Amino acid sequence: MGIFRSFEISTSGLHVQRKRMDVISSNLANMETTRTENGTPYRRKMIVLGAESMENFDSLFHLKLQAAKIENVVEDQSPFVRVHDPGHPDADEDGYVLKPNVDLVVEMTNMLMARRVFEANVTAMETTRQMALKALEIGR
Amino acid sequence: MVEKLSFERTWRGLEKALGIAHRRHSLIAENIGHLDTPRYKPREVDFQEALNDAMAGGARVSMTRTDTKHLGPVPEGLAGAEVKEEEEEWNGFNWVNIDREMTKLVENDLIYRTASEILIRKIAFLKEIIREGGR
Repeated sequence: MGIFRSFEISTSGLHVQRKRMDVISSNLANMETTRTENGTPYRRKMIVLGAESMENFDSLFHLKLQAAKIENVVEDQSPFVRVHDPGHPDADEDGYVLKPNVDLVVEMTNMLMARRVFEANVTAMETTRQMALKALEIGR
Repeated sequence: MVEKLSFERTWRGLEKALGIAHRRHSLIAENIGHLDTPRYKPREVDFQEALNDAMAGGARVSMTRTDTKHLGPVPEGLAGAEVKEEEEEWNGFNWVNIDREMTKLVENDLIYRTASEILIRKIAFLKEIIREGGR
């Protein structure tokens, strides 16, 4: 049904931002993780977003509505941070430890963005709802 | 009498729509309630499908059968809202997607409000006839 199309799209936005928060949480929780399953320090994770065309959309509109979706979760390939800490169990011969490439400032900024985008999607949905409710009052 | 006014089909459609929306609401509430239940599979009713079924099932137009072995129309009792498991992705704990459920809640609320609004207007229409008709 027509009016619910925008709900569907907004939901995809909510879903994507929630997943983004999962990734940010993972990055923050592992800021100091020096050992992972494959032996390296923790690598920062990022989500890659893609757009998904909505099916059976009325082609009369000449515009293609697209919902957000998660394409992939990739690892940030930037170098690890080298910190001098000879007492650390994972320090090399020179006393350096490789720490995860997670930048707290970047994560906090992303978190803020995720939150705001989530809120924007909720607002969009609420507006659509209000419009539909208003339409019910026509001719009363 | 109401039936003779050809109100019947709309009336019944709205009645079914409200019923299905009500059923759907319970299911959505149930799914949200089970947000914290491990391995819970959310259930749903497809509104459009259920309404189509309900309307087709109780068609009052009678069919003439030329042979007793021919199949008749589906009896009303058989057409009910089919509850299916929702196709959601596994989130590591269960299959409930809270964003999806909340959206469905809003969507269902709109359907319910619309159906009841039309019903209210229909009743107002009947009242008008009763009031003005006797003059």
